Order: sequence, then C-alpha cells, then structure tokens
Amino acid sequence: MKFTLKIWRQQGPNEKGGLATYEADEIGPDMSFLEMLDGVNQRLILAGEEPVAFEHDCREGICGSCSLVIDGVPHGPDRGITTCQLYMRRFSDGVTITIEPWRARAFPVIKDLVVDRSALDRVMRAGGYISVNTGGAVDGNAQLIGKEQAETAMDAASCIGCGACVAACKNASAMLFVAAKVSHLASLPQGKPERARRVTAMIEAMDDEGFGSCGNLYECEAVCPKSISVRFIATLNREYLRAGIVESGVPADPETPHAESD
Amino acid sequence: MMNRGGYFQSALGGRMVASLTGLGLVGFVIFHMLGNLQIFEGGDALNGYASFLREMPILLWAARLGLLAVAVFHIATTVRLALRNRRARPVAYVVHQYRSASLASRTMALSGGLLLFFIVFHLLHLTAGLVDPSIPNRLDAQGHLDVYGKVIHAFQNPLYVAVYFAGQLVLGLHLSHAVSGSLQTLGLEHAALNRLFKTAGPAVAVLVVLGNLSIILAVFLGLIHT
Ligand code: HEM
Ligand code: FES
Repeated sequence: MKFTLKIWRQQGPNEKGGLATYEADEIGPDMSFLEMLDGVNQRLILAGEEPVAFEHDCREGICGSCSLVIDGVPHGPDRGITTCQLYMRRFSDGVTITIEPWRARAFPVIKDLVVDRSALDRVMRAGGYISVNTGGAVDGNAQLIGKEQAETAMDAASCIGCGACVAACKNASAMLFVAAKVSHLASLPQGKPERARRVTAMIEAMDDEGFGSCGNLYECEAVCPKSISVRFIATLNREYLRAGIVESGVPADPETPHAESD
Repeated sequence: MMNRGGYFQSALGGRMVASLTGLGLVGFVIFHMLGNLQIFEGGDALNGYASFLREMPILLWAARLGLLAVAVFHIATTVRLALRNRRARPVAYVVHQYRSASLASRTMALSGGLLLFFIVFHLLHLTAGLVDPSIPNRLDAQGHLDVYGKVIHAFQNPLYVAVYFAGQLVLGLHLSHAVSGSLQTLGLEHAALNRLFKTAGPAVAVLVVLGNLSIILAVFLGLIHT
C-alpha cells in the first residue's frame, strides 16, 4: 500500500511547528500504524534527515504511551484501541493521512508528535492513591468485595492514562481521566476514608494544570481506547458534591502524605 | 484547601453553578411559555393573567429581580468557563473530527450569546415597548392592560415573526443540550434513568419552542385576532 502522510514537525517546545508531507511506500496491510511510521523514519535516517519523534512503548495497547491524532481523531479511526493497535488495512490505499500531536495547554509539545503528559501524573499525585501503612501484605481475600462493586472499580481502573480524552475534548478537559481514577478508588472500601480529600485535591490539581472543564460533549468516551464510560464523570460530580456538602466540615490536610519534590 | 470559596472557584464548582442557574432559567422559560399559551383562551384570559401578576407588585418585582440575579449569575459563570476552556487549547488542530458531540453541545457559547441578544430585544419590544412605537399600549374593556392586543399587533408583522422564529430556534438549540448536560453535571445518572435524562433536554426544548411558535404562527396566520 501507499500513503501520503502529513505529519506535524516541531523542533522543540518553543519552536514554530507545521505540517510536512512524506510519502510512505511499500506498506503492508498488516503493518501497525507505528510500524508504518518506523518505515518512514528508516528512510528519513538513510536520507540523512531527522526522523519523526513519536512516543510508544508496549505496542500492545496497555501502556498508554502512543498518542497520535490521526485525521482529527485521537488513536485514529477505530474505536476502543490505541494507535499501536491500529493496522494499515484500516485505510484505503493511496489516501492522505494527517498526523498531529495531542493538543492542550497542559500537554506542551516536546518535539514533533511527542507531548509532555506529566500534568496527568501531577493530578494523580494530588490524590490518586490510598494511604496504607507499610508492613506485612494483607491477605488477598481478607476484605470481600461484591461483584458489582468490583466490576465497577475494574471498569474505571482500565484507564491507561494516555490522555486521548483530553486530546478529543473541545475544552481540553481531563474529566474522564480524573473521573476514572476517582470512581475506581471511591467504589472500593480501601479508597473510602480519603474520598473527600481526594476528589477536591484532584479537581484542584486539574484546574492548576490548565485543563478545561467538562461540557458533557462525550467525545472522550468515543475515543477512549478502553471505552471508559462517561457515567464515571457523573460519579466524579457526585463525589465532588458530596465532598462539598456532606464532608465540608472535615478538615482537608493540604500536606499530602505522598507529596514529592520536583 | 476545601473552603467554600475554593469549592465554587474550581471549574467543576463553576459548572455546577451554571447548571443550577441554567435549570432555574429553564423553569422560568417553561412557566413563561405556559402563561403565554393562555392567549388561545382569548384576550380576557391573557390580560387577566397579566394583570393578576401585576396585582402583586412586590411578588412580581421580587420574581423579576430574582430572575435577573439568576440570569446574571448564569451568564457570568458560563462566560468565565468558556474563556477558561478557550485558553485550555491554545494551538488548534489542523484537522479535527467530532465523533459524538451534537451541534447544540458544540455551540453553547454561541447560542447563549445570541440568546442574550434575543432576550434583550424581547424585553425592549414587548415589555418596554421601545422597539416598535406603533405597538398599542391601552386598556381593555375590563380596565386591564391589553397585552393581548400588543401580541396580536406584534406578530402580524412578518419582520417580528422572523426575529422571534430565529430566537426560538436558538433557544431550542441551547436547551436541547443544556438540560441533559446539567443533569450529568449535577451527578444525576443511573442505568435505569439515563435514557430519560438524555431525552429530557431535546424534549423540553421541543415543547418550549413549539409552544411559543404556535402563538406566533396562530397570530400571523390570522387564527387568532382582535
Ligand atoms: C432562557 C435562557 C437560558 C437558559 C434556560 C439557559 C440554560 C442553560 C443551561 C441549563 C446550561 C447548562 C449548564 C452546564 O452544562 O454547565 C447552560 C449553559 C450555558 N449557557 Fe445558558 N441558558 C440561558 C441563557 C443564556 C444566556 C443569555 C447566555 C449567554 C450570554 C448563556 C450562556 C451559556 C453558556 C456559555 C453555557 C455553557 C456552555 C458550555 O457548555 O460550555 N445562556 N445554559
Ligand atoms: S504503545 Fe503502549 S499503548 Fe500503544
């Protein structure tokens, strides 16, 4: 197969970027999108040009590293997959494909298609954990959890933190990400003691990182490689209301026990 | 960290304020439309209703001021949110495709802004009578202000019919996303009720718009007249 690629090239965070056109020849239909890009890069290197920088790691849809907006949709035209799980047979032979990085103020471009997603890590650090004392590990089934509850927690916990929700959102909001993390922990007994502090701190951290707010457009759910439901955003909203109303008297400790220094 | 001020300062807190004030306005819009429909019962009914409202000046002004406050809160909060959201993506995509977002959901700020224009126009036109000096401002046989006559006069003019038609379409667009979105923002979600919540917005929008348009059309087509 043969494709024309329009790829966003940007030398560095403060450089001006733009689309550059490349031809991708001799592409097999069973190549993944990233393998196709590897081929393009190989040719660029042989020609003495700078290869296109893009992120990837596991290449099997579990790490959340790959992050390309393909023809205007994060992770490309198929639903419920990451870019590394996308195959070239999905495209018609000879088409032009536009490839851009995730775009959000909170995700500054580092180079070409690579963006800095550490904002999501900082939101996690604000509250996406449970505090436990160290010591002997608790027995696996010491605390029984109902099937429904366990399934809900697992659905939310399937978030791989890729940031596609932010990339797709009209407002570059990280609500689906925060919703998944908050819902995951709030639906398990281990997460309950810190739930009010967690949701308030994570929402505040999301604001501080410059993400937008949720307008309920549900683009996030439509591009999420794990198809995480927007019902978790409603759960997050309830958690936030609860923190403000039910537990407004609870002193929130701003010194998070796991605060790290940068 | 969790002081009340901070709570509403957050973008999510702001969205909740926007939703609550928005739903308050939705309540008014429905009530207003139902009141207007009394035009089909004739001039005495509508004028009687209007003068009934005016007979309680303290209540009427309390309601007007309350409504104004809610509207001001709604606009101030949503404008702040919209500006914030614009800042959240400084570099736009060269190619961008929406997968599920409705037209209404993508144009809330635009429809809201146009709605503000329409509301101001509507108040100047029918409440204050400043737009169209030819609008009659007299009393009916019962000594009530002749609101009926005003409405009939206004909508015999195709120009005003067109403006109000456009205003209603914008209102419908705003409401169709606003109501369902607000329910989600306020955390109302349940597997058994989601279909209902999803249809609530478009249903309210269609009811309000059709109710209001029926009046305009009935007058314009001469089905009701003085
Ligand atoms: C009859 C009058 C109005 C009603 C019933 C109404 C109702 C609503 C409701 C229920 C929401 C949803 C809140 C949310 O999801 O956060 C909303 C959002 C909004 N409204 Fe209104 N509104 C009215 C007038 C206006 C006016 C006059 C403006 C602006 C000048 C406006 C601007 C907005 C904006 C910008 C949003 C949020 C858009 C977004 O999702 O980003 N609205 N409205
Ligand atoms: S490279 Fe790990 S998810 Fe795509």
